[in-house]
Amino acid sequence: MEEILQTVLQSHRDLGDMIIHILRYLAPLVALILMIRCIKPLLTFRKEPEIWGWLNMPDGTQIPITHWENVIGRSKSCDITIDFPTVSRNHAVLTRYDDGSWTISDAESKGGVLVNGKKVQICAVHSRSRISIGGVEMQLQPISQKQEARQAQLRTKAASGWDSVANLLLLTILQILMTLGFLLSGTETDLIPILQGFGGILACQWLLFGFYGMIHRASFEVETLAFFLCTMGMAAIATVKPQESMKQLIAMVLGVIIFLIIGWSLRDLERAKKVRYLATVAGVGFLVITLLFGTEYYGAKNWLIIGGMSLQPSELSKVCFVFAGASTMDRIMQKRNIIMFIAYSILICALLALMNDFGTALIFFCSFLIIAYLRSGSVGTVALAVTALIFAGVIALKIAPHALQRFATWRHVWEDPFNAGYQQCQALMCLASGGFFGLGAGRGRLQHVFAADSDIVFATISEEWGLIMAVLTVVCIVVFGFFAIRTAYMARSAFYCIGACTAAGVLVVQTILNCLGTLDILPFTGVPFPLLSNGGTSMMGAWGLLAFVKASDTRQNASFAVRLKGGKKA
Amino acid sequence: MNRVTNRTWLMAIFILVLMTGMLFFLGEYWMKADSWVSAPGSPHVYSNRNLGVGTIEDRSGTLLLNMGSKREYADNKATRKSTLHWLGDREGKISAGAVSHYAGAMVGFDRINGIYNTEQTAGTTKLTISSRVQNAALEALNGRKGTVAVYNYKTGEILCAVTSPTFDPNEVPDVAGDTTGTWEGVYLNRFTQVSYIPGSIYKVVTAAAALESVPGIEDMTFQCTGKVEYGEGENVATVTCESVHGKLNLKGALANSCNCCFAQIAEVLGRDAMLEAVQRLQVTDSVRFDGITTARGNYDITGAGAASFAWSCIGQHTDTVNPARFMTLMGAIAGGGQAASPYIVSQVTCGEDITYRAQTEKTDRIMSEEIAATLKTYLRGNVKDIYGDWKFPSIQVCGKSGTSQVGGGQTSNALFAGFAADPQYPLAFVCVVENGGYGATTCIPILNKVLSECKAIMAG
Repeated sequence: MEEILQTVLQSHRDLGDMIIHILRYLAPLVALILMIRCIKPLLTFRKEPEIWGWLNMPDGTQIPITHWENVIGRSKSCDITIDFPTVSRNHAVLTRYDDGSWTISDAESKGGVLVNGKKVQICAVHSRSRISIGGVEMQLQPISQKQEARQAQLRTKAASGWDSVANLLLLTILQILMTLGFLLSGTETDLIPILQGFGGILACQWLLFGFYGMIHRASFEVETLAFFLCTMGMAAIATVKPQESMKQLIAMVLGVIIFLIIGWSLRDLERAKKVRYLATVAGVGFLVITLLFGTEYYGAKNWLIIGGMSLQPSELSKVCFVFAGASTMDRIMQKRNIIMFIAYSILICALLALMNDFGTALIFFCSFLIIAYLRSGSVGTVALAVTALIFAGVIALKIAPHALQRFATWRHVWEDPFNAGYQQCQALMCLASGGFFGLGAGRGRLQHVFAADSDIVFATISEEWGLIMAVLTVVCIVVFGFFAIRTAYMARSAFYCIGACTAAGVLVVQTILNCLGTLDILPFTGVPFPLLSNGGTSMMGAWGLLAFVKASDTRQNASFAVRLKGGKKA
Repeated sequence: MNRVTNRTWLMAIFILVLMTGMLFFLGEYWMKADSWVSAPGSPHVYSNRNLGVGTIEDRSGTLLLNMGSKREYADNKATRKSTLHWLGDREGKISAGAVSHYAGAMVGFDRINGIYNTEQTAGTTKLTISSRVQNAALEALNGRKGTVAVYNYKTGEILCAVTSPTFDPNEVPDVAGDTTGTWEGVYLNRFTQVSYIPGSIYKVVTAAAALESVPGIEDMTFQCTGKVEYGEGENVATVTCESVHGKLNLKGALANSCNCCFAQIAEVLGRDAMLEAVQRLQVTDSVRFDGITTARGNYDITGAGAASFAWSCIGQHTDTVNPARFMTLMGAIAGGGQAASPYIVSQVTCGEDITYRAQTEKTDRIMSEEIAATLKTYLRGNVKDIYGDWKFPSIQVCGKSGTSQVGGGQTSNALFAGFAADPQYPLAFVCVVENGGYGATTCIPILNKVLSECKAIMAG
């Protein structure tokens, strides 16, 4: 009897070992296919030339209007160049709105803008309005609704719904494979939280997809990649702190809700501009609250403990900062707005200096750089550069001494592998132990090292799931970055363009600091890897940033953040 | 809009930084991953400070340690005790540097699979020591602290390197709570990590220096009256012998281990020549093998008076030598001024492959063949004329004993270093017994046992 039992047990074990062996190669393969399928449409869509109207000049020529926001002026870099001595270099901004209406606003020009003979600051224009810019008369001729509908049809379609279903199925297979890996790894005690964690992500992704179907949106690549990152993050949590899987899952659900709310508020530019004020206040508010009621960990005061939950409000501040930095073209052209943004940045900078959080400050600084560069035209470049200098100066004087220790071990971790370089050396040892395909779920040893599920999560993933899988997580972020750049060319407004680029920039910079810090290629800063690191607030913030990336996507039926024309289906 | 969109290239820079960083890392991974995996403290390869995968066996294939999760040592208790310091204990208090050194060759790492298959393919490290000789040596030491080591000066293989005190890793003693001194320095490998006051075995160094630097030294004679005095009045310092040896030449002075004669030889030799000889003979240098760097010795005569300098040439004053180093010196004399460097890891296999195979490496030439030959006849004379060949019934040896005063009212340390006279058995050896009394009396019986075991092993 006992012999039979032994044989059954043994065959069971052999089978388990065999499955684990197959899993090693199967999981990265599924992930790789998923990745290629998601990346291709994001990076290869065509940019269709679009025309939204014409400017009829007095000599009978027609100048095509190719954007929703157009700078008119003498400068060659203007969207509509009118080479006439009385026209200022940047004279006016011609803006189209979602409902097809147009305005023209004066960009602090010398000669001013006249509509129907009246000098205006900002004024709605119709097809019969006479516009005079520096004495040059012109008439706006918007495209007809029929033309617009045709143009909408010509726009690259986002992937079909079935492609997205296939992608999601692949992700689901991956999630099941990973759960199976944990089931077979013999971590019986923590099975329930692990099942909850993976199951929760699985349910959440299908629910969101269902919701997209209801609102006739088909493109799900960005979301699929984000859920892939969340899944890998859950794998790290499952091995390091399984009891926190539920917490992280809730944070992810909240993140998706934030993603939808921000997306909704971005859908209507006028609404977005209003929400922007709220976000601006909230951005400062989060930091002030942290300063007043926060708790200091490891020299940085960036934690807020509420009812046993620890929050990092600065993570949400990043989203607010992106909101505050984004701006429409007509406002970008006004000096006053740039000065306001500089003042706002200085305020944020001062608060960060008080918090003593080097990593966060660095991320804010980089996003400031991106915003500043995208916004600054001929006006204000110098002022922005000066602000940047102050920003950097404050960081250097106030925060850097605290971070200097980390710089001291940079590229020298192997000289002190049991002390100063401990985390990174352990990370590299374990990462290398895993090879390309990993050691299998729950079989890593890095889990015993501090912050294995956050600061050095890249190595934890690599150890258990292989270097291929870990590199794919970085690839996801790289794709978000390139996608933001590509969609910028199609963005309806500078607001979306700046928002998407800055948001993607923050994600990329965070990945640079986290990942390259773990690998001792850059100094170790302990910044979370977006969507991957264990950390609720960081998870929510990352989803919030993704909403900006998604909002600039104007492919047909692609993004919930862009309103459908005439309720047409894909 | 064009202006804003054209500026998005800035983002591309950040992406480029990330991609370049990752590529750089992948390059590093390709170049260095094996060294990362096998670095000390690597969680999958080490348990505590010691290697945690693979097996270790002795020269005849006896299993000494299986480094799997349970860390199973040899079945034989005596073997567990005698080999512990080369294997490392479970708690990592004794670190097995030589075995760890070949971690990379043993864990079966490859860049693609990492150490995934290690359970099946983890390798075997073969040591040059023989558990049989080790056990004999430890038994001969009979609980006394010290070290006994023998190596083949033609191949470099260390046949025996035992350190005492030691313990059975399966019955770990209460070292921290010990007040009797039984376990003092138990975590140290006395062969590699300790340097001892050499006493009279150092006269070999002085004799070598004299043969090198003083023309006609072999024809000179020195008079021993039992005492040499330096300075006058209250500041008088002396070098003494236990008996009056009378008139002796260099060979006689070495054979009788005459302090007074050696004090006079030191004077003839001079400080510079002695310092230069110590350096040339590498007496105070570490020996490096298999990732181990032994303790350095000491020879420092700065500010030493005439008597102190004389004592420094007799292996007292502040002199210290490491046993492994002195054994190598003996090997060099036996080998005609040059010998093989000692090593303890002979081969590492991983799966089916031999990933490391030791190769004999020569030491630097530290003396001419003539001087080596002369010293050899001197050391042979010591045994034949003074200690007596009958004390080494199994094998004829050349050697020099030492009895070093350690101060503090303690019994002297007993030392003996030398080599087998028969070139068929190219064995150089060293023996130190802490507080063991007279070198010859204490060490010779131990060495006789150990050498006869070595001879048996070599005969097959």
